[in-house]
Amino acid sequence: MKHTATVASLLALFAAGAAQAQDAEAAQFRDGFLAGEIDWSAVEARAAEEGTVNLYYWGGSDLLNVWMDRVVTPALAARDVTLNPVRITGTKDAVDLVLAEKNSGKGVGQGSVDMIWLNGENFATLKRQDALFGSFARLLPNAENLEWNPDDPRALLNLRDFGVETGGAEVPWSGEQYVCAYNADRVAAEDVPSTFAELRGYLEANTGKFTYIKPPHYIGNTFVQEAIYAHNPDGNGAEPFQRSVDEIPAEELARLIAPGLDYLRDLEPLLLDAAGGTPRYPEDNAALDGLFLNGEVDFNCKFGLYAVATGLATGSYPEAATQFVFPEGNMIKNKNYLAIPANAPNPGAALVLADWMTSVEAQASKLQQTGMPAGIDGWTLEEAEAQSIVEASPGLVGVTQAELDANAAPDTNATLVDVIEATWLEYIERDSTDPIEAIVARAYDNLSK
Amino acid sequence: MARKFNIALSSRLSPFQKFYLLIIAGFILGPFIPLIIQSFAFRWAWPDLLPGTWWLEQRDRAMVPLAWDYVLSPYSRVWEATVNTVLIGSIVTVICLAICLPAARVLAREKFRGKSAFEFFLSLPLIVPEAAIGIALLMMFIRLGLAGSYVGIIIAHLIPTIPYMVRMLTAVYQGLGRDFEEQAMILGASRWQVLRLVTLPMLLPGVVAGALFTFLVSTNIFLLTFFLGQGQIVTLPTLLFSKIAGGTLDASAAGITLIVTLPGIILLIISERFIKEEAFGKGFGN
Repeated sequence: MKHTATVASLLALFAAGAAQAQDAEAAQFRDGFLAGEIDWSAVEARAAEEGTVNLYYWGGSDLLNVWMDRVVTPALAARDVTLNPVRITGTKDAVDLVLAEKNSGKGVGQGSVDMIWLNGENFATLKRQDALFGSFARLLPNAENLEWNPDDPRALLNLRDFGVETGGAEVPWSGEQYVCAYNADRVAAEDVPSTFAELRGYLEANTGKFTYIKPPHYIGNTFVQEAIYAHNPDGNGAEPFQRSVDEIPAEELARLIAPGLDYLRDLEPLLLDAAGGTPRYPEDNAALDGLFLNGEVDFNCKFGLYAVATGLATGSYPEAATQFVFPEGNMIKNKNYLAIPANAPNPGAALVLADWMTSVEAQASKLQQTGMPAGIDGWTLEEAEAQSIVEASPGLVGVTQAELDANAAPDTNATLVDVIEATWLEYIERDSTDPIEAIVARAYDNLSK
Repeated sequence: MARKFNIALSSRLSPFQKFYLLIIAGFILGPFIPLIIQSFAFRWAWPDLLPGTWWLEQRDRAMVPLAWDYVLSPYSRVWEATVNTVLIGSIVTVICLAICLPAARVLAREKFRGKSAFEFFLSLPLIVPEAAIGIALLMMFIRLGLAGSYVGIIIAHLIPTIPYMVRMLTAVYQGLGRDFEEQAMILGASRWQVLRLVTLPMLLPGVVAGALFTFLVSTNIFLLTFFLGQGQIVTLPTLLFSKIAGGTLDASAAGITLIVTLPGIILLIISERFIKEEAFGKGFGN
């Protein structure tokens, strides 16, 4: 057995050596493709030669796992590429792996991650560490399914991810909106809140029947951002939060976010289990789904345009779950993306996968089978294609698309999210007695370190 | 005296003993009951004692395989994970035995300078946090090209298993004494015959217990497998973690949890019989 182990490790070393030899060639391919010198048929030929693509994605959803195996694998097999779907528990794991490999000197063609499903801070980290393949998104044949014109305000989510410029280093995969659901068996229709003040009113009568996911989880951060938008002292909602920390002084940010954070602090005694001393914030959306199903809370707020429809289909939502508009005018909308890391071992196959994922066919079947909204832009499609996406939708329950569009708000700049998250942890989780100005100033200092 | 003996052998237990047994059975079997029910549920919400909707009622209407349909389908990767877990566990056990048997013999029988310090160092891997070992190994293995490979995981699994195995085998060797081996040699047995016919049979219970323990430890290692497998090599613990990390246990997660317990249970049953009949029966012979 020992002998086998030695042989195998020698083989592994040999394989590593071989990969290093390919490096120059992979780099040449990358540079050629990004410069627009390599046409798509050559990319497809290279993908078939590489033969495999390693896609790292959050594997906590049975629906998505089944879709990957049932739909994506055969679609790529038709292009002579074997999909290796690597299910991870947190997107950050894949980001850490890419960075660890990069720090060990593995460049293009030498790593182990070809593609990551991500957005927000994870993308910002890869970008900051210069660990991305390059500006590939607009060079894909299916890029025509997306709006890229910077003069068109609808292109914003394709060009900016949490306020960070995507620069084409990631391609949109799914578009989401922060939507809340209530359990109609427990909440009367006239009691359903549509503003933060009404939510507080409801909780004063029904203490403990609400909670939100704990920051720094991005779903929790988003709830905090919505509260901040709604309590913006200038009354202009999301607008001032589109700038980065470099463009907005600490005192100014503190002034803007203080009313929202004060609201959340005052809300604490009315949250789930707060009667026992400390309120309970669930760690992620699966935990919140459990609380909602068991009637411990009456509301479930998360990124989930079609969460109610799919939750009913899998039994993870109570039967009377219904969506509603909350908070009015501040329902954050964003997209999530597919990125190719700088040390992708199979860059050709990764490009083919990215292109297929952006096709109308892929987007419609993903929407139908997993309830993940389309990431491509309906108005860029031909009528029949746009119609196929509309028909694939599992359906909204209790709200209309027009209502959601009318109440949409943009996400907060990723650098501000860091500050807001740190302030929440300090001001609300640790009950700091310092004024918000001091906490925000400290967060700024920590960020610049 | 005879009467007392009879009572001890009969199956009658005192009320306290019965109560005690029931409690133990409850602790061991108790957690399995809600798991089994959950694995057949579609929607099971508080305060219902039993699921409001069962999986079989929804089976035909579902757009994806639910509950056991998912667990037993290739989508869940349960089969792949089971094969990986058993394969890695077996190889680790064999390598671990090959390393630890000679080491234990020396530790039990020879005296040398720094022996107690050496024994202390052997236990160090059990004290250092697994996460620290994992990160350090990952950095090295990435350079060596071992990250994400079976070889890498097997090497990593040897780290926490060797200290246990060496300790167990050393204790067994210490209990063995040299008398039987010397006797066999006096009677003209060759070294090989002594090893095959005397030493190994007498060591067998310890070896089986050590191997069993090593296998179980290896099949339960999550963190090292997770780091070094880089998500590419799926074992039962990593599969389970990715299912239940969210904090809720749905039907398919409950099903996978039940499957994860199977290799251990099967192995325990086999070794239970083996240790009783073979090893204790023949090895110690009395």
